[in-house]
Amino acid sequence: MSGNPPTMAGTRSATGDRTIFKSFFYSFTGFMFLFSAYLFLSNLDQLVVTEAAIKTREITSWGEDREVMNMFAGGFWRDAYFWKSLNLTLMVPVITTLIASLVGIPTAYALSRYRIPGKAAIEVLFSSVMVIPASSVGLCLIVMFNYGPFWNLQQQLGFRFAHSIFPGMILASFVLSFALGLSAWKAAFDGVNPRFEHVARSLGSSRWRAFRTVTLPISKSGLVAGVILAWTRAMAEFGAVLFFCGTFRELPPARFSDLEKVLHIDQADFLSVAIWAQIEYGNVEYGFALAFILVIIGGLSVYAMHRIGAKGYIW
Amino acid sequence: MQNALWQRGTWWPALAIFLALATITFYLILIASNWIYLGLGDTFYFFTQPRMWQRFWLTVWTSTVSTCFSLIIGIPAGYALSRFSFSCRNVFASVIDLPIVVSPAVIGAFLFGITTRFPFDLISEHYNIYIGRNVYGVLLVQFTVTCAFCARLMKAAFDSIPPKFESVSRSLGASNFRTFFKVVLPMAKNGIMASMIVVWARAAAEWEGLMLFVGASEGKTDIMPFAIYLDWNGGMMGWVVSMTIVCILMAVTAMTAMRLIGGKSHVW
Repeated sequence: MSGNPPTMAGTRSATGDRTIFKSFFYSFTGFMFLFSAYLFLSNLDQLVVTEAAIKTREITSWGEDREVMNMFAGGFWRDAYFWKSLNLTLMVPVITTLIASLVGIPTAYALSRYRIPGKAAIEVLFSSVMVIPASSVGLCLIVMFNYGPFWNLQQQLGFRFAHSIFPGMILASFVLSFALGLSAWKAAFDGVNPRFEHVARSLGSSRWRAFRTVTLPISKSGLVAGVILAWTRAMAEFGAVLFFCGTFRELPPARFSDLEKVLHIDQADFLSVAIWAQIEYGNVEYGFALAFILVIIGGLSVYAMHRIGAKGYIW
Repeated sequence: MQNALWQRGTWWPALAIFLALATITFYLILIASNWIYLGLGDTFYFFTQPRMWQRFWLTVWTSTVSTCFSLIIGIPAGYALSRFSFSCRNVFASVIDLPIVVSPAVIGAFLFGITTRFPFDLISEHYNIYIGRNVYGVLLVQFTVTCAFCARLMKAAFDSIPPKFESVSRSLGASNFRTFFKVVLPMAKNGIMASMIVVWARAAAEWEGLMLFVGASEGKTDIMPFAIYLDWNGGMMGWVVSMTIVCILMAVTAMTAMRLIGGKSHVW
């Protein structure tokens, strides 16, 4: 006969067991937190220019602005390119998100409420857009707009989608941010019981009024989360923009329209593309300074997302 | 007619359905334009080349390995994020989510810093494993990008299970770990498998992080999304378009499988 009676098995130090249990799971969360924090903080010293970098620039003699490049963080605040790029990166995702919300919220409502044939296939289509590589998305856009009937149409109308800021960059950032926002908006509408709307309509509301006064206020937080989500995705866009639009820094000023010059977005790149271009060029400190700005913007937006308590999103 | 449209508000569902159909058409043309461009004969030609399938299997095994690592970290982390509440939770969750919110191209740049420092420099010194411009670099990039993504999906999967079942199991005398393995995990099985497929597809679609950190060597690190960029720069349009078709097919297959397994997944 064993020492302990069998009834003791269930009651053994429940609190101590709970502590071990919790710390086991916390350790994985803690690992992820530390990994992420270390990932960003360990690069802070990349902002400082080292002697080796200065010597390398002496040998290779890149550019006339070597003095500026050897400043802290590449002297990014003295470069007009940086301010124009920041301007562009703040402006284009806002326009994209605006278009995506105007198109996407009715679309999500239709997909959530009405019987559309092949709904499963449609959901697979939109969700697979999110896991198609960004290079494929960019290439799909190139193939769609630079060949065939769309290309002829552009030739006749006298403008181009590819390698342009105004239709091109917005289109490139639209594809993925729309798909992601749609998932959140659809989840928000799925969470609202359609019966509320039926009641409102039985009391004499029109369909639009029932939507505006009943469904919209209930699903507001989910919709706002979708808007933030679409905005962050448009902000983080790199692949499609690089493929479809390329870089604009070295293009002649004649390539840009007056509107782009007035808005101070001519000869500027999307911030993520600018980071890539600068680091590849060898202007590492400058590139990392821009990267930290992108990280700060992304951190603020994801914090806002958590404060709102966004549900049904995955990014 | 005009009157009915405005007074009964019928314009609203009409607009919604029109926009839905328009966007679906746009995305369908976007995807189908590759096939139209390439044509059937060329598609068969490129699909029978060994170069294509070498890259395909490289993509498959690297993303499978990195998905395994992500799952090992992501499942417990997702459970902790789903069930436990702690102070400054939003701040912690935001930092954990940063690698998926910030552009992956930037993450690739940041990996430069971490691989030349404490844990990684010891690994490369003592075990002769260099993490950088080789397949280990590919795995690290895929892991970094999918790990937080995996935790987020797992959190959604665990959120869909009411905590009541755990309380019942514990009140009947099961230990916490027994409850987790015998009650929570079996209940979350479908959600976890669905999320696993999404994570795999996301890892197989990783390209931007590789741009700065790894680069592509032909036959070594050119997983399919990167090979698209590589051949695009080489001007090999046929290869590029055919590999895009393979990537799209992979994504669509993965998402179909996710829907079949997960049924109505909470994620989307």
